[in-house]
Formats: sequence, C-alpha cells, structure tokens
Amino acid sequence: MISTPPDLKSYKTQLRRALQNEFLATTLRTFASAYRLSRANAFEGLDATHLVEEIARGKDAAIPYLQELFEQFRSRAEAAGVKVHVARTPREANEIIASIARSNDVRKIVKSKSMTAEETFLNDHLEKEGFQVTETDLGEWIIQLRGEGPSHMVMPAIHLSRKEVAELFTGVTGEVQDPDDIAGMVQVARKELRQAYVEAHMGISGANFAVAETGTLGLITNEGNARLVTTLPPVHVALLGFEKLVPDLRSALRILQMLPRNATGQAISTYVTWITGANQCATGPDGRKAMHVVFLDNGRLTLARDPVFAEALRCIRCGACANVCPIYKLVGGHNYGHVYMGAIGLILTYFYHGRENARAMVKNCLNCQACKSVCASGIDLPRLIREVHRKILKEEGTKPVKNVILNLVLRNRRLFHFLLRRASLAQSPLASGERVMRHLPFFFDREHEFRSLPLLAGTPLRDRWNQVNPSLENPRLRVALFGGCLVDFVYPEQALALVKLFAAHDVQLEYPMEQTCCGLPAEMMGEKETARQVALQNLHSLDMSRFDHILTLCASCGSHLKESYPRLLEGEGDAEPMVRGMVEKVTDFSSFMINVLQVSPRQFQEGGAKTAYHSPCHLCRGLNVTGEPRELLTLAGLEYTPSRDEDVCCGFGGSFSVDFPMLSAEILREKLDHTEDTGADVLVTDCPGCVLQLRGGLDKRNSSIRVKHMVEIIAEQKKW
Amino acid sequence: MGQATLVQKMKEKAEAVQTRVALVRSMEEALTAAVEITLKGGGHVLAAPGLGERHEEAVPFLNELCRSRGVDLLMENLRGHMGRIHTAFTVGDYAIAETGTLVQISHDEDLRMATMLSETHVAVIPVSRIRPHALAFEPEMLRILQRPPSYLAFISGASRTADIERVLTIGVHGPSELHMLILEEEPHEEAPS
Repeated sequence: MISTPPDLKSYKTQLRRALQNEFLATTLRTFASAYRLSRANAFEGLDATHLVEEIARGKDAAIPYLQELFEQFRSRAEAAGVKVHVARTPREANEIIASIARSNDVRKIVKSKSMTAEETFLNDHLEKEGFQVTETDLGEWIIQLRGEGPSHMVMPAIHLSRKEVAELFTGVTGEVQDPDDIAGMVQVARKELRQAYVEAHMGISGANFAVAETGTLGLITNEGNARLVTTLPPVHVALLGFEKLVPDLRSALRILQMLPRNATGQAISTYVTWITGANQCATGPDGRKAMHVVFLDNGRLTLARDPVFAEALRCIRCGACANVCPIYKLVGGHNYGHVYMGAIGLILTYFYHGRENARAMVKNCLNCQACKSVCASGIDLPRLIREVHRKILKEEGTKPVKNVILNLVLRNRRLFHFLLRRASLAQSPLASGERVMRHLPFFFDREHEFRSLPLLAGTPLRDRWNQVNPSLENPRLRVALFGGCLVDFVYPEQALALVKLFAAHDVQLEYPMEQTCCGLPAEMMGEKETARQVALQNLHSLDMSRFDHILTLCASCGSHLKESYPRLLEGEGDAEPMVRGMVEKVTDFSSFMINVLQVSPRQFQEGGAKTAYHSPCHLCRGLNVTGEPRELLTLAGLEYTPSRDEDVCCGFGGSFSVDFPMLSAEILREKLDHTEDTGADVLVTDCPGCVLQLRGGLDKRNSSIRVKHMVEIIAEQKKW
Repeated sequence: MGQATLVQKMKEKAEAVQTRVALVRSMEEALTAAVEITLKGGGHVLAAPGLGERHEEAVPFLNELCRSRGVDLLMENLRGHMGRIHTAFTVGDYAIAETGTLVQISHDEDLRMATMLSETHVAVIPVSRIRPHALAFEPEMLRILQRPPSYLAFISGASRTADIERVLTIGVHGPSELHMLILEEEPHEEAPS
C-alpha cells in the first residue's frame, strides 16, 4: 500500500530524499528531452491544437450526460451478453470483482494494466480474499513484485534501473540475470507470464474507451497483454471509470489519434482492441466468454456536475503532464502524486483519494504551464491545481500565517506599499554595498542560499515617476505601464530603460499610480477573493479610454491580467466589459517593439554580445509569445545563441521558490548549465521574476554572464 | 489518394513500426512466403485458422506445400496447441495506411490464439482493403461493431515494450515479427476511396 505525506514538513523530507537518487534524476532528464522530440515528430503534419480542441469539445459535450451514455452502453452491451455493474466506491468495485471471481470458482487471475484498478487498490483486495493475481504488463509486473505502485501512468516502472530489475528477476527465476541483457529479461517475463495466462481462470483489464453507441470497449497496449488477458481465461472483467464513456466510435477514434502520440510519441500503439459483447471462448460457459464490465463512480458523477472541476474528467490518461513537468522530472511519480501522478494527479488525488493525500503536494506547482501546453484534452491543469489548493484551505478553516498576512496586506495598496518602503530601509544591514543581500534574513534557512536575493530599490519606481518620465508634445501612442511589484520595488531600472526608449520612439508612457500587485501571488496561494479584489482595483486604475496599449515588463503579470482577470471578474457587472477592453490592450515589450513600433536593424548597433535567451513560462505559454523576443534580439544586433530547453521554467515560480527551495535550486542549476554551455556573455529574459532567479543563481556561481531584462539590452543596443 | 500512393504510404508507415512488408501477386505466393518465413525462423508449425472459410481454394495448396516442406499445419482447435505455433498465417480484413495498421476481425478464438501466441505473424492484405486513415474506416468499422459479438484488432507492428529503462524491446507477449504481404489484385479492380 502506498503512503503519501499528509503535511508539508514530511513531504519536504521525502522530496529531499528523492533528490538524492541519481539514477532517477538522470533517467527522467533523458526521458524529458527524448519525449519532447518524439512528441513533436509524432504530430508532424497534424494540427495538434485543433485536435486538442476537438477532444475538449467532445469531452465537454459528453461529461454532463455520463449517466445517459452509461444507460446506452449498458443496453447495447447486455444485449450482446455482457453483465454491466456500477460501483459507487472503490470498495464496492473490489467486492463486485471478488464476487464475480468467487461465483466462477476462480483462483488465479491475470490482469492487464488499469489505472482504475490502481485507484481502487484492487490487487490488495483480491489477494486478501485469497486470489492469486498476476500483473502482465511488464512494468506493472515489475512493480507488483516489488510491492510498489506505478510512478508513471504509461511507464509504471520508469523509476527503476536495469540493475534493480535484474536483481528482482534473479529472485523470481532463481537464475542470475544480466542487467545489461534487457532483451533477456523481457524473455524471462514472456516465459513466466505465459504460464500465468494459461493457468488463469479470470482476466481483468481496464479500458481506454467505452463506446456508448455500440457497447464496445477499446483497449490500447503495446505489449499485447490485454489481448491475452481478454482471450485466454473464460472470465473477463473490465474495470473503468465513468469518464471513459464516449458517445460514438468517431469520438473514440479521435482520442486514439491523440493518445499514443501524446503519451509516447507513437503514431499508434501496437495493439488496439475493440471488444463488443461476449466473444467465443472454448473454455467459457456455452463456448462463450463470461464477460463483466464494472463502471466506477468514486465521485466522478458528482465531479461531472461541478462547474470548476468537471474539466478534470476530460483526462485521457496519457501521462503527458508528467512528461513535461520540471518537478516530476526531478522527483518522479512516487513523490509527485498518490495513485495518479503529475499535474492531473495533484488534482485527482483530492477527489479520488481525499484531502489528506493531496494537502501537501498540491502546493508543489510552479504554475509554469508546461502541462497545460501539452494536455491532450486542453485541461487548464495549473488553474485546477490552484483551485484544489483553495478548496483544501477553505475546508480546513485554519490558514497558514502567510496567507492571513497576504490577505491583510495585499487588499490594502497603501499598507502594502508602505510596508515595502519600510522593508527597503530595514534591509540595509543585510547588504554589502551591492545590490544583493549578502546575508539572508533569519527566516530563511540554508536551503535558500542557492541564489542571492536582490535588495529592494532605495526609491521605488512610483516615487520617482514624475521626475523621470518626460511629457511628450504630440506622442504617436499613449501606453500605460503595468509595472508589477518587482519592477516597481526591486528593478525600477527596467522601467527607466523603457521610458528612455519610448521617448525616442515618441511614445508617451504613463504609470497609473493606483495600480498594485497583479494578484497572481494571492491566486497561487489559493486566495481567490484577495486576487479578485486586487484585480478589480487594478482594472479601475487603468483608464482604458486614455491608453492605446497596456504594456507590462513582467510576463507573469501580463499573462495573469490577460488570462485570469476575465475569469476572476466574471459576473462583476460593469467590470466585465472593462476587462474585455483591457485584455485586448495588454502586450509584452518584445511584441510591442516588433508588431507595433516595427523597429528595424538600422536603429540598433551592430556586433552585439553573444546572447542566450530564457523564455519565461508566462510569456511563451501564458501569452503565447515565442517568435518576437528572438526576432528582436537578432534585429537589435545581438548574436542570439539558442540554448537547450530554453522554454523550460527557471524554477522561480513566485512563492514556489520560497516553499520548495530544494526543487527551485535544482531546476535553476540545470537552466544555468544549459546557459553556460552556449558560451554566451549575456542571458536575456522578459520577466523580472526570472531575472531575479537567474541573476541570483549566476551570482552564486561567480559567473561572468550578465542577466538582462529584454528592455535593458534593447536600450543598450539602440543607436542614440 | 491513388492506389499506388496508398500502398506506398502503407508500406512506409508499417515499416516505421518494424513490420516487414512485401508485395505479392497471388494467395499461393503469400502462402509460399509464409512457409519460407517459418522455416527460416527455425519453426515447424504453421497455423492458418479461418483460411478454409475465407479461401477454401487455397487450402489444398497449403496442405501440400506444408507436407512437402515438413511443416505441421494447424487449422483449428488451437487452444490444444498453445506454445507450439511458430507462424500464424491470416488474411487481414482491412488496413490503415496512416498508421501502418492491420485490422483483423477476430471473434473467432482460433484466430486470436494464433495471432497472439505465435512467434511470427504473417498477414495478407488485399490492396482494395487499405484505407487511408482511421476516420475513413469508421463507417465500415461501425458496421462491424454493430453486429456483436465482435473482437476487432488493430495491429501495428510486433509486440513491444520499453518498460525497462525505456529500452525498446520487441516480442514481449505476442509475436516478435509481423510480416505484411500486400496482395496486388487485378488492375481493373479499383480500390474504393
């Protein structure tokens, strides 16, 4: 039986232990790189975005009607000789299956992989009832022999080395196995499991689809074990969740187009099996198979009616959200999920396995949006993770102190900015005449020393705005700057560079003084009400009629304004049309330079520095801006040198890096290794949060690479 | 998509998943190839379930061929021969070019036994049965599913796993070789588009 830490402290201890596992780190890192490539190849010539939208639409149309689809499936399947069952709880599912086994005088059972059976801990139950269960998927068999749960939905034993498998198989066969002879070990499984198929009286499978219009089950495997499990024994039981119901064959075929490509980068898995009704079986009653289908509810039908979380039922279990997650890559599924792992695991755990198991790990999200960008059915995973976090906080009633303070401070802009100014004074003993703290304040422990932290600016941007911002006579455009806390209070020089550039381009910049924090940190901490109040305040501060554009130097603020404000302020009466107007005007710096000002190379100096680029999560995935920053670098005369995994998170993630410094440090380390590999002199990015993280990390390495915000390097390159 | 392009795509995509593809001009040629593949693979038992119903005329030829080449021929009751079958010879019902997939209507248990428990699977697929992609096959597939019981198999390559250190290994549970023999028909016989 698996166990998941119920509190943050023990969860962090587990994470630290996981980070010590070098095999895991290497294997998952290699996998993450290989996956990105093979996925891209698999989708070549296909419109993946369109396919995702179609699947999402199809799922959304079916989810409210799961009960009706079930009735249709049941009537078709029962007409074809299948017995269909409903299990409200995991226990009920296990008991139904055990009773089918008993009534058919079964002793030995073979099983093909089913995440739903993992969800109900079916094997444990059947074994307690005296049945002998053998998993037949190689990975599942391996972890069954080890008494573990899967660490990935598609590759259950990815956390194990060949050496560990060889030791295990040596024990099973009594013969020494050579760890480097993987084909030989696969043959061991073939031989051992063949025997299990022949002896078994019952086969248990999952299913990838239940097609309502025909009463058909669809099963996808590469090994072919599901075919044997559903053919050799006289009894077949399929266990699946209600969300596997699709209205028609067409919907199933569409998902089939997506699933293998997104899961493993294959155009199709080797075997796709479509079973309708009780088929011929020489050893079955009357020469036919005794066939049962068990649909598991376990909260799904309630979830289907939830306005926020129903989206989670779109999941087709491809595992892609784990494959691209920078955190999964470091610690693996045993430390990033309960039964279900990866981003969807953080969400489903709460609903299927309870708050206890979700409480600590649901905080472990960077909000880097990598999962969302590859989700087969377009689930907004980072948002649902935040919503689960919020739900847990609400249910538990007692909030962490930092949430209480955040709510108090953030909702009152004057208090918030007053405190930031005071903090700027208080930090002087930590400084060393530089712009970084040489000693961390007492509330940080040593784990936070992987990066140096910047000092707050002596005078925030807002306090010098009127002196530094020239008023232009006949500007061609009026642009509001949405500063964000980091630009305002830590890096005002980024805004000053913008002021200078825009004056030269005859663009009038303004800084609406009532603006405050964008509210993303509140949302990340599960404080939606604070996020809403702050959003409303910012919206009113930006008088849309006066500005042609709203520019932000912070990709996180930009994507939060654009993506979350419409949702946060839904149903707010007057605010709704204002939000729509605002969303259209929000832009990032690079896009503005390229698309609005249409700058050209002759405005810049030639022969600029060798430059690496870090693509902020909230720019490349949040705002979908990928081409413009690179174009701007090249156009501005810099020698842009691509680096590996440019669009992978830097590990900042706002408060994430404070909550999980050990993970943040590792993610940053890899990012900086890739940067150093390019031999660049400058590292450019478009988000002050990333600047903080990258600069802090390079400072600790004593690196000579300079970190610049895009606006700073562009201002430097401009011919004045 | 013209017939030649379709066959070309079928071949290319099937080979991409390690299926061995060859063109044949007659059922006799296909059967001869299956027997040769069996012998070359060191096998002595060939199962051809369902051939009698589908291609009765080919059975005497295969009988004679197997007898002369010293290969045991099994036609039915394959449960009694588990572990003995080297080669499964089948006639595919459809194929899907986009993914290199063989589609086999498999409600007949012997057909399943043979294609799951053999070392090598040799399937013949007439050109007229190749469809460009799965969605184009959907109407025909739906008709099959609407007449239960049915056990429809999409087979794209040989059984495989990557469960140990993600190393691709062929032949974990099912056949370790899949041969697809594309049967070219008379020129006047147009494939339905």
